[in-house]
Amino acid sequence: MLSEYSAIEGRSPGYWKLFAALGGLVLMGAAAFLYVEHHGHAVTGMNNQIVWGLPHVFAISLLVMASGALNMGSMSTVFAVKQFEQFGRFSAFLSIALLIGGLAVLMLDLGRPDNMLLPMVYMNFRSMFTWNVFLYTGFMTLCILYLWTMFEYKQYKKFVGTAAFGWRLVLTTGTGSIFGVIQGREVFGSAITAPTFVAISLTSGTALGILLLFFTFRFTRRELDDRLIFGMRNAMIFFLMLVAYLLVVEKFTRFYDPASYDVEMWILTGPWAWLYWLGVWGVGVVVPLALLFNRRIGNSVRGVLTASGYVVAGAFCFVAHTLLAGQSYPFDLFPGYTITSVFQDGQAGTYMPTLWELMLGLGGVGISGLIYLLGIRFFRMLPARGEAPKGWELPWNP
Amino acid sequence: MTMDRRTVLGLGGAIAAGVALAPGLHLFAAPANSTSPDSGSAQPGKRWGMLIDTTRCSSDCTACLSACRTENNVPLYGDPDRDIHWIRKVELRDQNRRQLPVNLPVLCNHCENPPCVHVCPTAASFVRHDGLVLIDKHRCIGCRYCIIACPYKARSLVFYKTKPPRDANPNVPIRAAGVVEKCTFCAHRLDEGKMPACVEACAKADKNAMIFGDLNDPNSEIHQRLLKEKTQTIRADLGLKPHVHYKGI
Amino acid sequence: MKSPTSLAGRLSRTSFLILVLFVAWIATPFSVQADPPQPEKAVRGPCVRDAEWMRRNHMDFLKHKREETVREGIAVKSESFLSCAGCHTSRERFCDRCHAYAAVSPNCFECHQYPK
Repeated sequence: MLSEYSAIEGRSPGYWKLFAALGGLVLMGAAAFLYVEHHGHAVTGMNNQIVWGLPHVFAISLLVMASGALNMGSMSTVFAVKQFEQFGRFSAFLSIALLIGGLAVLMLDLGRPDNMLLPMVYMNFRSMFTWNVFLYTGFMTLCILYLWTMFEYKQYKKFVGTAAFGWRLVLTTGTGSIFGVIQGREVFGSAITAPTFVAISLTSGTALGILLLFFTFRFTRRELDDRLIFGMRNAMIFFLMLVAYLLVVEKFTRFYDPASYDVEMWILTGPWAWLYWLGVWGVGVVVPLALLFNRRIGNSVRGVLTASGYVVAGAFCFVAHTLLAGQSYPFDLFPGYTITSVFQDGQAGTYMPTLWELMLGLGGVGISGLIYLLGIRFFRMLPARGEAPKGWELPWNP
Repeated sequence: MTMDRRTVLGLGGAIAAGVALAPGLHLFAAPANSTSPDSGSAQPGKRWGMLIDTTRCSSDCTACLSACRTENNVPLYGDPDRDIHWIRKVELRDQNRRQLPVNLPVLCNHCENPPCVHVCPTAASFVRHDGLVLIDKHRCIGCRYCIIACPYKARSLVFYKTKPPRDANPNVPIRAAGVVEKCTFCAHRLDEGKMPACVEACAKADKNAMIFGDLNDPNSEIHQRLLKEKTQTIRADLGLKPHVHYKGI
Repeated sequence: MKSPTSLAGRLSRTSFLILVLFVAWIATPFSVQADPPQPEKAVRGPCVRDAEWMRRNHMDFLKHKREETVREGIAVKSESFLSCAGCHTSRERFCDRCHAYAAVSPNCFECHQYPK
């Protein structure tokens, strides 16, 4: 049933245009990096209350999607959904590409990028960041091995693929824990944050996979059986409901604790409430679910693509909301008192990103995109035809 | 496969080391006290701490703030969001407005369990033998995770390139853009046997609201007063065991 | 092959010639500035360590001292960075001359001030 793999030709004007566009993004990112490095972080919108801004939103979104992009591989290797085996290579490779893009942005936004290798030399094993250094390098290694087994040593695929699946769960838990284990900031102290990050990675990774597969196949004039897309749609619906569930549980547990009334009300009605309701819930959960459950839209490829776009944007909103709202909430140095000072004590932080930060973040997207474009051109990442077995029927349709 | 196994082992080691080091985090042996006359050393048995008597602190006095800026070459950029504050004055009002407002300086609390040190990936933030929480700026990569972790807002990123002021204090380096900095309890002065600049300025301004000393020394003024007077620390609920105590809040 | 008149042969010879000329051009400044640098003499002595040893190892020495001073709180005044200025009065005429010659740019002075 499986068709042969082949690299794309990559000679069409469209390919080169896309290549140039992504290369342009990378150059813009490089320019932004040099500019910020030369002038100090004062040229960004970040300040002493909100020290992680738009570049981190881009970076962490890419990292979250990197672990999610492995879904299609895991679906076949770990959960034996054989129809997706043909996308295993694509999936593992996409993970690597997104991981590199995300890490690049994270590294280039450091205050002292010249010292970026020091975490490899001096390690503080209590730091969630040090753990993440191991988690990211380990994940990258596993993905490369996974790819290798898919190309050459099929007998080890199951083993490595399962290890990679386990690792990506721990990896995203680690990423989420950066914002889940900080007791000093009221918003960053929830145990549900890390699992929510895992759920978000599942939705956004699948959505990005759907989009990339569809458009890559479309532009290279390869066949892609609609039923494959609908299969992924069903997985995405399930993941979306998981996200909704975790978001609700998080708010439920927090609202049960009177000490969190203030901060939770601030999240739901404060200056970042628009991002929470419109971005995290609207764009990220409600609209895609409504589209996918609609009998007409949910059963059309175009509808699934639209919903996927919403899901990717929603993941971005989720990360942005977690970071920005979490940091904006004023430090509560003296609970029960109002506090004022020249250092904005007792005030919510404000953050207005500058163009440089946007350029740096998009640079990371450009890096990931370029790696993807080059990868599918020089390696046999994609099946020549995306086929579903004859007579295969999806168990469920909207 | 070797690479992979190494990473796994590394992670196991990380967990083991994290658990082993968690309670005390003493990576260096206590230094032998040099007898040479020109050496000042951090004494391992000491625990520097501060007591701030807010009843003696008035809203119009900023002696400690300006002393800190001069002593430590802390620039003021005039950009309120990004200015560096090692120590700042804060005004408290209870939410029902039933008490008079309280004024007090807030600075790094040099916690026993400092969250900034826990999260620092390169161990640039560390606890010295005498309990000071310091930043090794040679090692700081500017990731800002410590600023996220500190509940006291005691840390600032250096957002601008700075030039040393004309009458700079040569004993304290200025800071390169992109590193994080904060109050050091004037470690360089402590090592010379002097008091921190803010404490000295407070006494000079005839307020005597800041008492500084060794918490472990039963004869020190701060030890005695903490025994006798009712004091509190900021956000004691977080379990960080700060070494800056406040009286009169 | 008697005479390499093929296009490929001619091209490779030309490119080799260009490479040689390029390397020579790049290397010119080094061969011209052969004089060793003349850092300023110390106004008094002796140094905290043997001068010849310092010449080779001052960077490691300073790095070691910085680790001790910052992280362990062992501050030995006579061996501190600031004490260099007691004998070597000018950073420009002492530190910078050699550093410029050796094309190294340590970033000490980004933060530390050399006493005048």
